[in-house]
Amino acid sequence: MRKQLCEIRDIGQYLEQQQDTAGQRVFEARELTSPELAEKVSYQRKIVQLVRWLARRNRRRQLDNLYRQLMTDETYRQKITSIFQ
Amino acid sequence: MTMHNDPIFESVYRDTLPKVARMVHRMGGDLDTAKDIFHDAVIIYLEKKQQNTSSIASDQAYIMGIARILCLRRLKDDHQYVALPSSEDDYGIPADFYDPPPVAQPVINFLKSAGRKCLQLLQAFYYDKLPMAEIAQTLQYKTQHVATVQKYKCLEKIREQVKQTQHEEAAL
Repeated sequence: MRKQLCEIRDIGQYLEQQQDTAGQRVFEARELTSPELAEKVSYQRKIVQLVRWLARRNRRRQLDNLYRQLMTDETYRQKITSIFQ
Repeated sequence: MTMHNDPIFESVYRDTLPKVARMVHRMGGDLDTAKDIFHDAVIIYLEKKQQNTSSIASDQAYIMGIARILCLRRLKDDHQYVALPSSEDDYGIPADFYDPPPVAQPVINFLKSAGRKCLQLLQAFYYDKLPMAEIAQTLQYKTQHVATVQKYKCLEKIREQVKQTQHEEAAL
């Protein structure tokens, strides 16, 4: 595997806390001495956040579809809308 | 219980929505607010289920509990005097739940166009927390190793884009 990919793997293992305590400390020390590595860690963390955010957005869309589908049932729709009258 | 074509999920959804709607109405919210709060509560509930960190005795009661907290939070934003109950910690609503995306919109668009399969792979791993062997099988990678390397390649590809966008933002 390419060197770059190995680094991505190491960052991933660090972020997912898959290393033992000693491994974590060694990685943190490397991060402190290498701004370039620290920057890469920050980007990778952001990507994971972004993926989660997008996944939630997808779920909201799926739930909206289910809501629209349920509201086509006139009895159910009336039950819901009557609450707000 | 899953979301996709699951009759149990649909039945919980169908039964819980009116209850949440009544609660939101009592607190002064409208139907759209009720729907949004309910959907957010369902998403948080599904995440908790996935993590298996808390024992959920009743699906409906749990969703209602989260919805109540979300509703109070929203009211708190509107009227500063509403105090949040201490029971909020029981539900552990993710701190980043409502935050805007950490990077700009162009990157979100890129992430989508980075390849549907890339996004599916990252989502399955980082959000659905599925084991790599299962991801490889579902997304039809030859082996678990191939899927894992592909995950690194996807991260590399997206990272370059995030980097570029951030540099462009800094230059503005």
